[in-house]
Amino acid sequence: MNIKNQFKEGLITNNPVLVQQIGMCATMAITTTLFNGIGMGLSVLIILTCCNVVISALRKIIPNEIRLAIFVVVIAGFVTIVDLLLQAFIPALSKSLGVFIPLIVVNCIIIGRAEAFCQKNTVGASFFDGIFQGFGYTCVLIIMCVARELLGSGRFGGGLIDVANGFRFTLDGTGSGVQIFPAEYGASILNLPFGGFITLGMLIAVMQYALKKSKKKKELAARLVLEEAERKEAEA
Amino acid sequence: MNKILKLALVLFLVCAVTAGILGGINELTKDRIAEINRLATIAAYSTVLKADGYDLVEADMSDFPTVDKISRATNGAGHVVELTVSGAQGLITIAVGVAPDYTCTGISIIDHSETSGLGANAAAESDVGRNFRAQFVGADESVALSKFGGAIDALSGATITSNAVTTAVATAIRAVMALG
Repeated sequence: MNIKNQFKEGLITNNPVLVQQIGMCATMAITTTLFNGIGMGLSVLIILTCCNVVISALRKIIPNEIRLAIFVVVIAGFVTIVDLLLQAFIPALSKSLGVFIPLIVVNCIIIGRAEAFCQKNTVGASFFDGIFQGFGYTCVLIIMCVARELLGSGRFGGGLIDVANGFRFTLDGTGSGVQIFPAEYGASILNLPFGGFITLGMLIAVMQYALKKSKKKKELAARLVLEEAERKEAEA
Repeated sequence: MNKILKLALVLFLVCAVTAGILGGINELTKDRIAEINRLATIAAYSTVLKADGYDLVEADMSDFPTVDKISRATNGAGHVVELTVSGAQGLITIAVGVAPDYTCTGISIIDHSETSGLGANAAAESDVGRNFRAQFVGADESVALSKFGGAIDALSGATITSNAVTTAVATAIRAVMALG
């Protein structure tokens, strides 16, 4: 499997959230501000990449009977490391994501990739799989955050961009974001967990439509080639 | 039998290595985390009651199950009560300043998971949030929402959160009264 293919899989054709439809709980719960979305996405990307590398490096010595137990120990280890580092160095992010960082332990993206990919592939392939799947997850989170924040409260980049003291990026979570239109006109229903379901549903629908369409196009092209070949054969 | 021993050994080794690494990371970060938490507490306390230091009060708080701890300001300005109450979505941790005459000097919400745009306004650094919290300054132990005959206006769309905060303030003042 080459890198380009893996990139396409992680981002589009086998996107963890929109196609595999795993890891949805955190996706709906934390996508309220861009700060949360990017923070959560990058945390998952780092944990997923580390777990993928370690699990695929150990894949020859992990006995099949206890592989799930070992996966969980490895994942929990990395999640705790990231949790402690966030608490120590980006406390605002740790506070705003709250329980969803420790809950990455049971996020099925990570155990799913360990089970489906890492125990059959090399360390290098698993490393790129972690990066690309994590990147695909981060992209979905960012799209959802931007959509919910903009339509829900008319803001962009909440927590991350501070406009009160000149335009700058902050990591202390105090940035108020850029107000695009007054918050009163936003559909604040999108800020509720319910709005997360709707946004995610729309995204999945768009993704399925696009995938189906490109599949049909490919089938059509294949049929044309086939017909052309048959015609030539008949002429001959 | 050998098979089981081998499985146990592998699992034990993986756990041992993981635990060792985590111990190291914990050692590296724990001082920093403790310092961040201490500064966050001081920052929250000083917005409700001006003082340069706070001493923890040892007292039996079994009559006030929502009270986590009470600290006395070293300059005699009163007490700060920290409570954890149930909000609309989860637990709200709140610090309430209580003056020696048993009135509220201010409140600060340390931690919460209320709905963004509704209940979360109680903790927000916005006009809505500041106005909501300012209402509690000077309140006594009979404080209540206007809906229940009191003087506190609830946040729109967030009656449960507003009521939780109001109840916490009343409990805090009663807890300090109980100290004598």
